[in-house]
Amino acid sequence: MRSRGLGSFAVGVLVAGAVVWSIVTTDVELSRLLSAGPRIADFLGRMLPPDPTVVDEIIKGGAETLRIAILGSLGAVFLSVPLGILASETMVSPAIYRPIRMLLAFIRAIPLILVAMLMVGAVGLGPLPGIIAVAFHATGMLAKFYAEAIDGVSRAPISALESAGAGPLARLRHAIWPQMAPVVARDTIFRFELNLRESLVLGIVGAGGIGFYIQTYVRSFQYDKAASVTLAVIVMVIAIEALNVALRRRFR
Amino acid sequence: MSVAAQIGDVSFAHPGADLPSLDRVSLTVSQGESVALLGASGAGKTTLLTLLDGRLRDWRGRVSVLGMPLDPDNAPPRARRADTGFVFQEFALVERSTVLRNVLNGRLGRMPSLRAFVGSPSSLDLEAARIALVDCGIADLAERRVDSLSGGQRQRVAIARCLAQEPRLILADEPVSSLDPARAAEILALLTEAARARGATVLFSSHQPDLARRFSDRIVGMKGGRIVFDGGVADLGDAATSDLYRETVTVPGIDLRAVN
Ligand SMILES: Nc1ncnc2c1ncn2[C@@H]1O[C@H](COP(=O)(O)OP(=O)(O)OP(=O)(O)O)[C@@H](O)[C@H]1O
Ligand SMILES: [Mg+2]
Repeated sequence: MRSRGLGSFAVGVLVAGAVVWSIVTTDVELSRLLSAGPRIADFLGRMLPPDPTVVDEIIKGGAETLRIAILGSLGAVFLSVPLGILASETMVSPAIYRPIRMLLAFIRAIPLILVAMLMVGAVGLGPLPGIIAVAFHATGMLAKFYAEAIDGVSRAPISALESAGAGPLARLRHAIWPQMAPVVARDTIFRFELNLRESLVLGIVGAGGIGFYIQTYVRSFQYDKAASVTLAVIVMVIAIEALNVALRRRFR
Repeated sequence: MSVAAQIGDVSFAHPGADLPSLDRVSLTVSQGESVALLGASGAGKTTLLTLLDGRLRDWRGRVSVLGMPLDPDNAPPRARRADTGFVFQEFALVERSTVLRNVLNGRLGRMPSLRAFVGSPSSLDLEAARIALVDCGIADLAERRVDSLSGGQRQRVAIARCLAQEPRLILADEPVSSLDPARAAEILALLTEAARARGATVLFSSHQPDLARRFSDRIVGMKGGRIVFDGGVADLGDAATSDLYRETVTVPGIDLRAVN
């Protein structure tokens, strides 16, 4: 009890310290903070009404984002199947799954936008760096999910097939896979939704997709056009979510 | 009479357990026999059956099953595992697969590796599965998913999977303990009858001495990892039966239920 009180006191001091440090060291004068409100209002005013003439750009950018998400997700699935197997306790020994899990944690720790920037540097502008970045980034999560799906299945049927003389791959196919298939379907759809959402902004760093137009229009002060593209992005996110809810219902 | 399984002076302790689960066990089972394994919870029945199934590691002693010695360090080769069938207490079926798929899983040890992985059965495999389904009285359930079946139906599927395997030795770990009395007798009759018809040896464990007497030729009683009774059905009187369950029942405060 005593040490618990001490612990929450320490946490309180830490939080207060962090806030004070941020306020003191951030170079924002009070006057600018006070004028930020009206400025934002003014900015939003210039976004209105959204310019509907950018429909072509929206369709073109949206389609490219969709392609990036689809191909990136496909790449992630291909990478995650072997890595997921190698990260599962059920299939391999600790000497294998421990380092693989560490690798996956490392991949997850790198934000997508950073990977995309690096890939733009490596392979140049366009959708390709976006696809590679999405595939790489999503594998960190998807392979972990696949490994958990493998490890979450009931062991008894696996023992039964082992007893019947099935080898490890036959056990994976006939005892583990039927149990994990709905989980894998759900996880993959979930990750696809995230990929689609996250790749909407990839264009901002030049990695292809609809984000490119937001960046272009904001830089060239065409806020009404930027507003249209932003609205389109919001509509797309909502549509993705609705689709995902509908799909999830099918895999139980 | 040829020997189906022979255990010589085998001892085994689960990793981390102080007491051995098998303590210098010796047992010989002849081909074609039907043997019932009795004993209180934690007596070592599951451990003994798992040993004979080739799924136990790091035991000491000698074991030979169907004329071949078992290796304490390695699982038996696939073809030999197929010769020994195992029926699990909790069925151990793939719930989301169909009855037929589950029964065909019993054929995996008989298929070449690639065919087993792809799961495309030969006409021989399909015929073995069909016969097993008919013998277990569930031919009409073949296309149903297992998760839509009752407990009794599930155990029939599990037995059909075991029979499709065409085993010469059938090991059954409390095959009827989760079923009502009528269903239990039905399933044990089915199992022992099918085994007799195929000339297969049966070793089943049970907590029901009456059923054990009815469906076996021989009773083996275990207690604390040892075999303490071995005789004909007539030799196991009420006194001997209650003796099997005595000590463990009166130890207070210790939960002897096995972690299966
Ligand atoms: N996985 C395990 N880890 C550690 N100890 C175990 C494990 N499985 C079984 N044991 C122990 O081994 C002993 C024998 O267990 P076993 O399962 O063979 O008994 P059983 O006769 O089958 O009991 P039951 O009738 O409850 O199934 C018990 O003392 C049990 O606690
Ligand atoms: Mg048991």
